[in-house]
Amino acid sequence: MLAYVIRRMAYGFVTVLGVLALLFFLFFLYATPDEMARRSLGEKAPPQAIHDWVVKHGYDKPAWSWSDPKESQLYNHYHSMLTFNFGTSDADDSLIAPQIRKRMIPSLVLTLPLFFTGITLGIVFALFVAYFRDTYIDRMGVVIAVLAMSVSVLLYIIGGQYLIGKLLRWFPISGFDPDPALIARFMALPWAIGLLSGLGESVRFYRTVFIEETSRDYVRTARAKGCGDGRVMGAHVLRNAMIPILTRVVVSIPFLFMGSLLLESFFGIPGLGSMMVDAIQGNDFSTLRVMVFISSLLFIGGQIATDISYTLADPRVRLD
Amino acid sequence: MRIRRVRLAWVAWIASSALLLSCSNNPYPGADDTVKVRYGALPSAPKTLDPAVTYSSLEHKITANVYETLLEYHYLKRPYTLMPGLAQAVPEARPLGDGRVAYRFDVRPGMLFQDDPCFELGEVGRRTREILASDFAFQLMRIGDPEIPSQVVQTFSKLDGFSQFRERLKQLRESEEGFAELRIDLQYRRAGPIEGIRVDGDTGLELVLSEVYPQLLYWFAMPFTAPVPWEAVVYYDGKEGRDFFRDHPVSSGPFKIAEYDRFFRIVMVRNENWYGVRHPEWKAPGTVYPSSGEPGDAAAGLLDPDYVGRSLPLLDRIEYRIEKESIPYFNKFLQGYYDAAGIIRESFDKVVQQGRLSSEMKARGMRLEKSVDPAISYLGFNMNDAVVGTPGGDKARKLRQAMSLAVDAEEYKRIFINGRGILAQTPIPPGLFGYDPDYRNPYRTPDLDAARKLLEEAGYTGGIDPETGEPLHLTFDIGDASTRTRVTYGFFIDAWAELGLDVELAATNYNQFREKVKKGSYQIFTWGWIADYPDPENFLFLLWGPMAQATSLGPNTANFDHPRFNELFLEMKDRPNDVRRIALIREMREILERERPWIELLHSESYALYHGWLKNLKPAGLSLPQAKYMDIDAGLRAAQRVEWNDPIVWPAWAVTGIGIAIVIPGILTFLRERQ
Repeated sequence: MLAYVIRRMAYGFVTVLGVLALLFFLFFLYATPDEMARRSLGEKAPPQAIHDWVVKHGYDKPAWSWSDPKESQLYNHYHSMLTFNFGTSDADDSLIAPQIRKRMIPSLVLTLPLFFTGITLGIVFALFVAYFRDTYIDRMGVVIAVLAMSVSVLLYIIGGQYLIGKLLRWFPISGFDPDPALIARFMALPWAIGLLSGLGESVRFYRTVFIEETSRDYVRTARAKGCGDGRVMGAHVLRNAMIPILTRVVVSIPFLFMGSLLLESFFGIPGLGSMMVDAIQGNDFSTLRVMVFISSLLFIGGQIATDISYTLADPRVRLD
Repeated sequence: MRIRRVRLAWVAWIASSALLLSCSNNPYPGADDTVKVRYGALPSAPKTLDPAVTYSSLEHKITANVYETLLEYHYLKRPYTLMPGLAQAVPEARPLGDGRVAYRFDVRPGMLFQDDPCFELGEVGRRTREILASDFAFQLMRIGDPEIPSQVVQTFSKLDGFSQFRERLKQLRESEEGFAELRIDLQYRRAGPIEGIRVDGDTGLELVLSEVYPQLLYWFAMPFTAPVPWEAVVYYDGKEGRDFFRDHPVSSGPFKIAEYDRFFRIVMVRNENWYGVRHPEWKAPGTVYPSSGEPGDAAAGLLDPDYVGRSLPLLDRIEYRIEKESIPYFNKFLQGYYDAAGIIRESFDKVVQQGRLSSEMKARGMRLEKSVDPAISYLGFNMNDAVVGTPGGDKARKLRQAMSLAVDAEEYKRIFINGRGILAQTPIPPGLFGYDPDYRNPYRTPDLDAARKLLEEAGYTGGIDPETGEPLHLTFDIGDASTRTRVTYGFFIDAWAELGLDVELAATNYNQFREKVKKGSYQIFTWGWIADYPDPENFLFLLWGPMAQATSLGPNTANFDHPRFNELFLEMKDRPNDVRRIALIREMREILERERPWIELLHSESYALYHGWLKNLKPAGLSLPQAKYMDIDAGLRAAQRVEWNDPIVWPAWAVTGIGIAIVIPGILTFLRERQ
């Protein structure tokens, strides 16, 4: 297994290098250093200030130089990422690493409860409809789930803010407060919307998995031996359906740290998702690359973790 | 088993009821019905609060309230008028004979900075100290520091020795080992002095400029020149858990920062050390509510006898939150959680009807205040272009004139910007010296017949280019590829199509657009400008030859370079506001009228919508320290919030009930069948 993990990590390393190169070239196809400077300094910045900014941030150097690689942008790009030396933001010269640590918290406040309740409710509902298979409850469950997954998240957000926040006035329309007494009040709506927008799809998915399992022989055997419904569904079926569930779940764990782009933007949650949106909008290459770099590391970590979790869920699986 | 299930259901029921009953849409933690808190929002996080650097109106909303300046603008008077702030008086220029001029500021004695631990650097146990003339000099030196990305270096380079100081500082840092590690004020002392900045005792500050520059005084009403204690810059270095100075202003203004989390919440509270609070008996102009304004202020309730002459500030606390999306912001405003708001496009018709506040909003006690911004938007021609520009000679001039006659800005304003603005006849907006309300630019009154005739004279009869036999093809470059902008600017394309011209809308993203401008490969473009300070020079320089984009990367994107205009500009810019200046501006106006480098569109109008409990708000296009003049009726606000925000809970019960009613029979049937 160790050899397998090391091999996967090596592949992952190559992938990260590729991602960084791609980001570098794509970004500079889109934005010029002058433009980055203007976005940082303001539209009225005089030419000298723009020039000084470009030089100070090293964007006047060649993309690559064979004679003096250390004086090239690409070298600096890789060097600062691979040594985890994230530096300062191109938008406002603030340090990036402390900002990430700080803004991870609101992201986690949003995503962690969403993740756990999402899985729990998804599985519970799916078990429920799978148990009532072929009754109108099942059929209605499927219809509602399909409806729920067909609606755009954006509509949930705007509709939710309008209905719950504006018309019914249950919770604030948007906002965030780290005060523990207020967290639930602010997060209730984004949690509910996040849950609702994701639940349809996961119920459908888990239901399919469970239904496939409930038709297997071991379920009939268990029932024949007098095993109760709860035990059949909760212990046997759930456990055997673990592999597809893990595939879905473990790979998404690392991304909890990255927050949610849409929910954070619309609800004014100062997390990493909105940090990413700001970086894209502000031509902030140095922040953007850190976010992309971390995302790709997390993605690869998630993949490896998924593979390992298989061996834990199913002793028959071996990683060679 | 059965009983336990029933009990569980009850617990769930009670818990959810409790949640619903306790729910509230109030986004604020504490009670605020007795404290005067002003709630506002910023569309994005401020980048920095370093007064040498901040240049956006967003950041000035914070810095203008915590950094007091030597001069400030009168809150109510228009045209904008300077009055003394931390200075005893607005200084007069004193010519030195050799073309140079001097200004002397006398700083009021006995004023203090806010209490801050940084002052221990000067003396153990000290919490604050007096604001001295040297603190202003220090800040001017910071502007000249090449390590600080200040954008106003050019302006202050007119100070004698300013550029040399900048150069010396750079050289010392590069050449002398250990110099860059010296304390910053010592570095400045070594690289200094700047001959044009003379500190005379604790309160005298004399500035010497190498040329006449009357606009200098405006810069002393902006946070760039606010006093900064060296202790703050040294102490807030980001090390050992301390903030960076850019995030930690040490206030000399009516408010100080109490909380600064720039992505989330910024809280300012009264600064007890502010000179207006410590010395109300001085009745300094910047510390009392004004007793006069412009006509109409009294009718707008801005000269309420309850306020006139009262000591400032009137608020206890200002809270800004970051609201990136305008719709939630506006909705929270409607719920009473923000005191004022701009009007979002989506709700414009609901709020404003026939240019007035709708009766629905009026019934809620809201008010609408309009003001014309010191700004202009325009369509421009690239005067270096062979077809539309100067090389095209008379032919091109007539083409520009014809195109100008085809553009109906009134219609544009009505359709696309909800009528918010007044038609521009020249670059100079209202409220500035040189604005003439009676002037009508003959080329800015739409007249298609005259336009067609001009085209004919230019050799493009019916818009046909004789060389190709096809309609004359031009491109109109814009830096936004969204559908909305395409439709908006399609309006002008259609207008020119009426003349038979084939203008192509080249919509690219903003970066690509800037690149085209840099390369000079554009014919028609659109742009705008907002005043830095209320002087016609700040608008007419946009068409001054030496500011041309092509030669100096300056803001003269039209690359307009007219010898006579340039000459007039040079004379106009340094003149006091007298008859001669008016005459110069008139002649410049005539040149622009004839040459048409721009098709002037609009001076935009700001609509400030605010609740009845917010008092004394007067919209201003410039970044002024407004907060100290405002007041809040917190009791009224609390009462209205309660009235407007009673949660409606029954739908929750209804949905739950329906859900149960649907599912239970199914379960029962299923179980019965299985048994």
